[in-house]
Amino acid sequence: MKKIMIVEDDATICKELKNLLENSGYIVDILNNFSNSLEEIINSHVDLVLLDINIPFLNGEVLLKEIRKKTNIPVIMVTSRVSELDEVLSMSYGADDYITKPYNPTILLLRIQNVLKRMEQKTDSYKYRDLEFFPSKGILKKDEEEIELTKNEMIIFSYLLNNQGNIITRDDLMTDLWNNEEYINDNALTVNISRLRKKLSEVGCYDAIETRKGQGYILL
Amino acid sequence: MKLGRYLIDQYLSILLIFFSYFMTLLLLLVFNVNISLIFAITFIFFMTQILLLGINFVRKKRFYDELICNIELLDQKYLVLETIAKPGFYEGKIFYHCLYEIDKSMSENVLKSRKDIEDFKEYIEMWIHEVKLPISSLMLLCHNYKSKLNKTFLEQVRKLDNYIDQVLYYVRSNYTEEDFVIKKVSLEKVVSQVLIKNKDDLLESKINLEVDLKNIEVYSDMKWLEFILNQIINNSMKYRNEKRNSYIKIFAEVQSDQIILSIVDNGIGIPKRDLNQVCKKTFTGENGRDKTKSTGMGLYIVDKLCKKMGHILEISSIHHESTTVKIIFGNNNFYHVEK
Repeated sequence: MKKIMIVEDDATICKELKNLLENSGYIVDILNNFSNSLEEIINSHVDLVLLDINIPFLNGEVLLKEIRKKTNIPVIMVTSRVSELDEVLSMSYGADDYITKPYNPTILLLRIQNVLKRMEQKTDSYKYRDLEFFPSKGILKKDEEEIELTKNEMIIFSYLLNNQGNIITRDDLMTDLWNNEEYINDNALTVNISRLRKKLSEVGCYDAIETRKGQGYILL
Repeated sequence: MKLGRYLIDQYLSILLIFFSYFMTLLLLLVFNVNISLIFAITFIFFMTQILLLGINFVRKKRFYDELICNIELLDQKYLVLETIAKPGFYEGKIFYHCLYEIDKSMSENVLKSRKDIEDFKEYIEMWIHEVKLPISSLMLLCHNYKSKLNKTFLEQVRKLDNYIDQVLYYVRSNYTEEDFVIKKVSLEKVVSQVLIKNKDDLLESKINLEVDLKNIEVYSDMKWLEFILNQIINNSMKYRNEKRNSYIKIFAEVQSDQIILSIVDNGIGIPKRDLNQVCKKTFTGENGRDKTKSTGMGLYIVDKLCKKMGHILEISSIHHESTTVKIIFGNNNFYHVEK
């Protein structure tokens, strides 16, 4: 499991952020001692840092600069400042991503997922049961048999696969689709899910996607 | 400065001149002075007086004419003192000195007001960043306790966020010049951020979206553009026609020297007589009064921001049919000089 460190001085946000991340299957570490933030971050051996700009002692941008001198750990900057300049600066100091408060929690999770994925060795195929999945080509492969997925189906399947075993709400799926510039409505989502199910069962994966009533979907 | 007016103004001196001339003439006649001497004295007397009047007139005319002419030519009239030469005559010197003092005290006052505004603006910006913290907490809470909370809860929080953004951008559009950074912005990215922000409302109000942006990039400030589009799309949602299937179409086209981003909806439209005024401050119009309460600030700020960044905002509408908002971005060599 991936470990994320939250560097944030607002207690409520910290608590809720921890809640959110833990519900999504991350281990969360909160930085408590800001006077020694640099060492704490470097010695914590986390996989990703969520760094707020407005923190006591060292300001986040300066801290980021210091972190970058020592390690390449992924950092996502979080701030309530809404100006392009802050974003440009943070990116130039070596942030991997930048998100402004108030953020959509699903989007934050997606960004974290993306940054972590970028850090891993690039694989262009994933395994699911006895299938091979090529997101870049949008193809599901079983032995020699290939099935093409549409863009929507591919986004849905990727998301479910990344969170295999967890319940995914329709809202999460919708956010991910919209994040990929596919602005579909509720009906279209239902249609896409049932098409995806059909395609999966064509290659022998029956009941791969289960509906949890009132909650969402789960990929078994 | 006109000679006639000047002479009328100097009527007392002129009266005195004539008075003293007639007195002298009387004395000369009484003492039976030679007639040619009288002519000579008259000539010399009037010559000197006219010369005196003339010299005075010319000295003043030179100063005042320059002053008046420069005032007319100047854009910022208060700078006139810097453009005129210091006068040689006493009155003029007093006048010049007074003007100098007035200017100085005004500058000080303006500076103080400017500083006050700047302080206020800084405070507001700071306050907005502070208030975004509790809003972030609320949004996270909404997400974490989704099942327990009513959906309207999140909706209200989002509204709050929108209104606060409006204040922020109002302050930015009015009081600062260098707050934005123009760089290459992908329309797809901005539009997607705005749409996701409003995803729940869009789905709720069953608005179909058609987006076709073809990887087009424009030169703009990402954050400002995001705010602009957010306002426009919120308007489209607010003024939708509930009797028919609503849609919002967002598309862009590249022309020779401009890129046009259009947002078209089939909402209730804007009456013709209101169309010219929608960008005016606090204008609410028929729709604003009838449908929902409107502050009349949204489009005003949008228009201002567009102007600051050099984009053109065009709004056209067929009442009861549709509304089209176009943002026109420049796209010529001038914009491609970065690096």
